Amino acid sequence: MNPQAQSFTPQSEGAGLGVSFKNPGRSPAKKNASWRKKDNYWGYLFLGPQTIGLAIFTLIPFVMMVGLSFSSWDGLGPISWVGLTNFKSQLHDPLLWRSITNTLTIGFITAPVGLLIALVLAVAIQQLRLRTLYLLMFFAPIVTNTIAVATIWQQILRKDSLLNTRVSHLFGFSPPDWLFNPHLALIAVCIVIIWGSLGLNVVIFLAGLESISPSVIEAARIDGAGPVQIFTKIRIPLLSPVIFFSIIVAVISSMQTFDVVYVLTSNGGPQDSTRTLVYHIYDLGFVRNDFGGSSAAALILLVLSLFLTLTQFAFQKRFVHYDS
Amino acid sequence: MKRKGKVALSIGVAASVILGGIMPVHAASKTTVVFSTWGAPSELLRYKQFIANFEKSNPSINVVLQPVADYTQYHAKLLTELATGKAPDVFYLGDDKVGKYVQAGVLMPLNSMLNSSSSTVKLSDFSPSLLGSVTRNGNVYGVPNDVNPDAWWYDKTVLTKAGITDDPATLAAQGKWTTAAYNAMATKIAAAGATPLMAYHYWGTYWAWITSQGGTVYDKNGNFVANKNPVSVAAIATLAKMVQDKTMAIADDQPSGDSSDNQFVEHKVGFYPEGRYVIGTVSAAGSKDSYDIAPWPTPSGKAAPTDVAASFLAINGKTKVKDAAFKFWSAYVGKAGQIFRLSTGGNAVPSIQGVDSIVTSSKYPAHAQTFLDMVHIGYTNAAIEATVPGLSDDIAKEMRAIYAGTDTAQAGLDKIAALVTAAQKKK
Repeated sequence: MNPQAQSFTPQSEGAGLGVSFKNPGRSPAKKNASWRKKDNYWGYLFLGPQTIGLAIFTLIPFVMMVGLSFSSWDGLGPISWVGLTNFKSQLHDPLLWRSITNTLTIGFITAPVGLLIALVLAVAIQQLRLRTLYLLMFFAPIVTNTIAVATIWQQILRKDSLLNTRVSHLFGFSPPDWLFNPHLALIAVCIVIIWGSLGLNVVIFLAGLESISPSVIEAARIDGAGPVQIFTKIRIPLLSPVIFFSIIVAVISSMQTFDVVYVLTSNGGPQDSTRTLVYHIYDLGFVRNDFGGSSAAALILLVLSLFLTLTQFAFQKRFVHYDS
Repeated sequence: MKRKGKVALSIGVAASVILGGIMPVHAASKTTVVFSTWGAPSELLRYKQFIANFEKSNPSINVVLQPVADYTQYHAKLLTELATGKAPDVFYLGDDKVGKYVQAGVLMPLNSMLNSSSSTVKLSDFSPSLLGSVTRNGNVYGVPNDVNPDAWWYDKTVLTKAGITDDPATLAAQGKWTTAAYNAMATKIAAAGATPLMAYHYWGTYWAWITSQGGTVYDKNGNFVANKNPVSVAAIATLAKMVQDKTMAIADDQPSGDSSDNQFVEHKVGFYPEGRYVIGTVSAAGSKDSYDIAPWPTPSGKAAPTDVAASFLAINGKTKVKDAAFKFWSAYVGKAGQIFRLSTGGNAVPSIQGVDSIVTSSKYPAHAQTFLDMVHIGYTNAAIEATVPGLSDDIAKEMRAIYAGTDTAQAGLDKIAALVTAAQKKK
């Protein structure tokens, strides 16, 4: 016997929902199933727009991208199957390796440096009364258009800019040519990315720090732990899931670097020193009309991102503590 | 009103609102031609004036302008539109892109329509040297809507401050505008604290420098031969030295707050190889009397063929309004169209023969005839660079390596030759 049929009577159920059931012949179990069915319809209805959007803008393009990676297409003529040719030519293309190297360099510099600065700032802001004001200031770059940010930094990093010349003269050397020196341009890109992502990381870390129970800190103090020990032995381990999340987001974001190098260093220059993998994909597709090669490079980026994320998950057990 | 009546009225109102919103105003009586181009706001204003004028004399045609500000993004958008069958009916194409579109067969062949008795434009109106990259198997798929030779604009104020008494345009008229004469001026300009030469980093600059110095870039068969020609190699080595010793600055590298245009009108630059559109720049700065133009200096002093930048106007091969599109196209590139577009505040030189007075009638710059002379002997972008997407960018990158001293002129030109050969095989 269905236990629900015993516990729910038409009167009690109807009274609870403010409706009455005029068909005493229908069993409560059937009615319950009918409600569930209706709930399902509403569920599908609400999920529909998102699912359709996901299919049109993500799934279908992804399937087409996979198909194109095995094809030759210049965007105008017919599409022809070429098997693994695009992957072979990409793997032999020095520009792909240059792009991967630059992208990984950006990731390995911006993720740790950016997160470390954000952590220090979050700890400092936690102690302040006007924390909201500071949070607003640090968060401003997140809500500012990246193109505008890159354009402003382009002015700041000019060889003859006021800031560049003053700071350089302060330390007694000639102003560096951040944007046109191949050895400095990638560092300039990293500086802008770190600055741009700082606000979000500070907010995330601050939320993580706020969630640590004061009783845990108090208990550590009673046990004789100093501020450094509390920070390294209590706060950091308890914050490790947040740090891990931020590392994943920072690394994936760095893999997608495009707008900064497109604007700040004018199409990944000078001499491809800031050419990133996403810029490489764009260049192959929309400058060289090689959509097959572009799709193959996009798949390589996907594999690289997956590899880096899985590697981070593999290592998380060593330093991430999920105990509260 | 009864319920049914209210429902019917509501549906009627809703339908009229929706249909009113989506139906074009002129749909019933007019043919719509969609025209797309890139351009600065001042240029777009002139195009809009032309369209308004065209619509007035062709009341059955409605022209919709779809502008894109950025040149690269314009072509990316056009490519996507062509691939999805949503491309405009008439559109501009850059001289480094047009060959690819011709090769892909997405443009309408124009010969039969141009040769018809009703056409107001004839193929013979255009110089054959300007049609190389738009001709395939005897068919022409577009014509330059106008052209711009890179004349050497010079600032008389800068020259005077540097103690230079000779006038480059006068020297050119006397056949004395030599490379040696320029070098002597460059030394004085640099000593006076100004930049002797500012030029954009593209094929026009480095290939024109080679050809002005007596070298060759491509042979008659379209093969890249600059690396095998000692004069060409020496010319590029000189160009690299000019960049390295800062007697030549690259316009693309100037900060947006202090652009090459700004520096030129602020009397910080001696020579600036640019098109006729500089008239607008120096006029806006209020110092147009300080400027004039000369051709590229040559070893002998006799003018040599140099670059002519061009943009082309083509018709979509799949347009559904073929006749209206051709009517607009021919009006745009025809004599009347070019006179209208280029006369007042014009930014280019006509590509059609017989309307030279557009350039010379205003008597500005003083030696405006130089623009026309340069077009008559000049050349447009090489067909291979116009056909293989990205080749121009790769060449520009290699030229940067030569400028930076990473590669010697010979090694760099050898690499460019290899790039061109690979592109020819790919083509």
